[in-house]
Amino acid sequence: MKIAITGIGTVSAIGLNCDETLQSLLNERSGVGKMHILGSNHKELPVGEVPYSDEQLKSMLELGNEPMPRTSLLGLMAAREALSMSKAPCDAFINGTTVGGMDLTEQNWHNYAEGKATENIRLHEAGESTNAIARHLNCDFTFIATPSTACSSALNAIFLGANLLRTGKAKRVLVGGSESLSKFHLNGFNVLMILDHEPCRPFDADRHGLNLGEGAGYLVLESEDDALNRGAEILAYIGGYANTCDAFHQTASSDNGEGAYLAMKNAIRMANIAPGDIVYVNAHGTATPNNDLSESAALLRLFGDKMPLVSSTKAFTGHTTSASGGLEAAICVMAMRNGFVPANLNWNSKAEGLIKPVMHTEKCELRYVLCNAFGFGGNESSLVLSAVPVELSEHSFNHAQPVASVDQTDDTDVSTYISAAEGRRMTAQMRRIVVAVRRAMKEAGIEKPDAIVCATRWGCMLQSMRFLTDMIDSDEQQLKPTPFIQSTHNTIASLIAIMTDNHGYNSTYSQGKESLQNAMTDIESQMSLGLIDSALVLEFDEQVEAWDNVLKLIDDKTNNTARAYVYKKGVR
Amino acid sequence: MEQLIEQLKGQIIEALNFEEMTPADIDADAPLFGEGLGLDSIDALELIMLLDREYGIKLADPKAGKAIFRSVRTMAEYIQANRTK
Repeated sequence: MKIAITGIGTVSAIGLNCDETLQSLLNERSGVGKMHILGSNHKELPVGEVPYSDEQLKSMLELGNEPMPRTSLLGLMAAREALSMSKAPCDAFINGTTVGGMDLTEQNWHNYAEGKATENIRLHEAGESTNAIARHLNCDFTFIATPSTACSSALNAIFLGANLLRTGKAKRVLVGGSESLSKFHLNGFNVLMILDHEPCRPFDADRHGLNLGEGAGYLVLESEDDALNRGAEILAYIGGYANTCDAFHQTASSDNGEGAYLAMKNAIRMANIAPGDIVYVNAHGTATPNNDLSESAALLRLFGDKMPLVSSTKAFTGHTTSASGGLEAAICVMAMRNGFVPANLNWNSKAEGLIKPVMHTEKCELRYVLCNAFGFGGNESSLVLSAVPVELSEHSFNHAQPVASVDQTDDTDVSTYISAAEGRRMTAQMRRIVVAVRRAMKEAGIEKPDAIVCATRWGCMLQSMRFLTDMIDSDEQQLKPTPFIQSTHNTIASLIAIMTDNHGYNSTYSQGKESLQNAMTDIESQMSLGLIDSALVLEFDEQVEAWDNVLKLIDDKTNNTARAYVYKKGVR
Repeated sequence: MEQLIEQLKGQIIEALNFEEMTPADIDADAPLFGEGLGLDSIDALELIMLLDREYGIKLADPKAGKAIFRSVRTMAEYIQANRTK
C-alpha cells in the first residue's frame, strides 16, 4: 500500500493555520517571545505561545462555554484545518498528548478543594482531551487513541495511523498531536535547568537550553488508491517510520545517540532508500546541550560526510513537546510542496561534534525528508516523508498470542526482584510493575521483547501530584526534579526498557478505559505487518490520595494496577 | 563544620531516597558521584535544589555543581562559605 497525505493542519506561535505558518517560515519570523497568556510566575522565561486566550480561541472555534483544555482548543483548530484540506471525514483519530488537561487542573486546584468547578476534573485525562477534540469534528470515528510518549507522542500517533491503514483497520486517519503550555511542565523543565532565558539556539556552540512552545499539528493519511479515486490532492507520501528506545536514561540522551541512530536508520530502511537519498532532516534540535550533541552524533554516524541539509524549527515555534512531531511533519510537507528548507534561526558558531545547520531559508527541491521527534525516557521516533509514492507492505494474517500474564497486587517478591539501589526512586506501584514484568518475562522465557507498550489511565499520578502540589504550595519556587522526570505517562515503559537494555519499540497509551485496547491494537497491527514478533504489554495505574480527594467529587477514584502480559506472534 | 556535615548527610539521605541508610554509612570524604554513593545527573539536580531549599544558595549553572558535590565535606565547605540562611 502507498500511503498518501491528503491534509495537514497546524497551530503554533508562528501561525493559526498552514498559510500563516508558511509565511513565518519563509520570512524567518520567530514566534518565541515574552509570556503573555500562561499565568506562570516565571515571566523571565521566553515561550512560543499561541497569542490568544482560551476565551478568544473558543470564540474563533465557535464553541460555547463548555470546559475544554487548551490542548484540545489548539488541537481542534489544527484538526479542522487538516480535515477541510483533505475534504473527507476520517474513521480513526490518533492524538498524541502528555499535558492533556493539566492546565485546567492547575487553574482549578483551589476550586476543587471547595467542591467547585467539578466539570473540569475529568478533562485531566490525556484521553479526554482527545475525546474533547473528536466531539467537535464531523467524523464518525470508530477508533480513537492517545499515545503519550512525551515529546515523540505525535510522531508515534502518525506511525500507528499508518499501521491501521496497512492492516485494513482504518480507511482514513487523522493523526498527530496537540499540547498547550502548562505551568506544570514549564516548572518541570526549569527545575531540570534546561530552559534558555534567551531565544533558543539549536546546534549552536553557545546553546543554553530550550524554549517551551505550544500548538498542534495533524496529517490526514489514506491509501493512494482511495485518494486518487475520490480525486483528492496528494500533498506527499509516508516513506517509512520507526520508533526505538535509547534505553539510557529517563531524561538524558546517550552520548552516541544509539536510539536516535536506530530510529533514523530503520525509518530509512522501511522507505527502501539509502541515507544518501535524504535531502533534508528536520531535527528534533531542542537546543539543550545534551539533545543536540546526542542527535548530532546519531546524524554523523548515519550520514557521515554526506550530511543532508539539517535544521531545527524550534527557534520559530519553541519546543511544542507532544505536538512537535505532528507540527514539524506538517512543516516538512509545506517545505516539500514549496521547495525550500526552513532556517535554523539563532545559529552562530560551530562546535566540535555538532552538525552545522542551515542558517537561512534555502530554496531546494525535496524528494525525501526525515523528521525527528525524541522524548523523555529515550523515546526516539523518526519519519521519512516522500514526494513520490513508496510501497509499504500490507498485513499477513499473524495475530498476537498470549504466552504469559502476571497481576501483581501486593509487595510479595519485591525484594527478590528489585535491589535497594534499583528501587530507590520508584514509587511502591512502580516496584510492583517491575516485579510483574520480571515474573512475566521469566514465565514466557523471553529476555528482550521486540516491543514494550504500556496502557495507563492516569499515568504516573503519584509523582505528578507530588510535583503539582509542591508547585502550588510553594508558588512555583520549591520543586524537585525527580517527581517531574517521573511524571510523564511513558515513565513505566521507559523504565522497563532502561532496566532491560531494550532498544525496541516503546509506546504508551492513555485513553481512559480503552487504554489497553489501544495498546493491543498497536501490537496486533505491528505483528500483522511483521514489524515485531513479541511484545510486553503493561497495565499501570496507582492509587493517589491527593487525586482521589478531587475525584470523589465526581464519584470516581484511582486504582492500583500492575499487570504484565507477554505476547508472541502466532499464525492464524 | 562536623555538625553541618552530619546534618547534610541526613538531608542527602532524605532528598535522594536512600531509605536503608543512616548518616554513619556515608563517609564525608568519599566521592558522591561515580564510585561511593554512585549518584547520577538527576541526583545532582536534587542536590542543587537542596542547596536552594535548605541554605538559600542558588546555582544558575548545573555544571557548577561538579566541584561542589565532590564529597559531603566539599559540599559542607561550600555551604558554610555561601549560605544565606
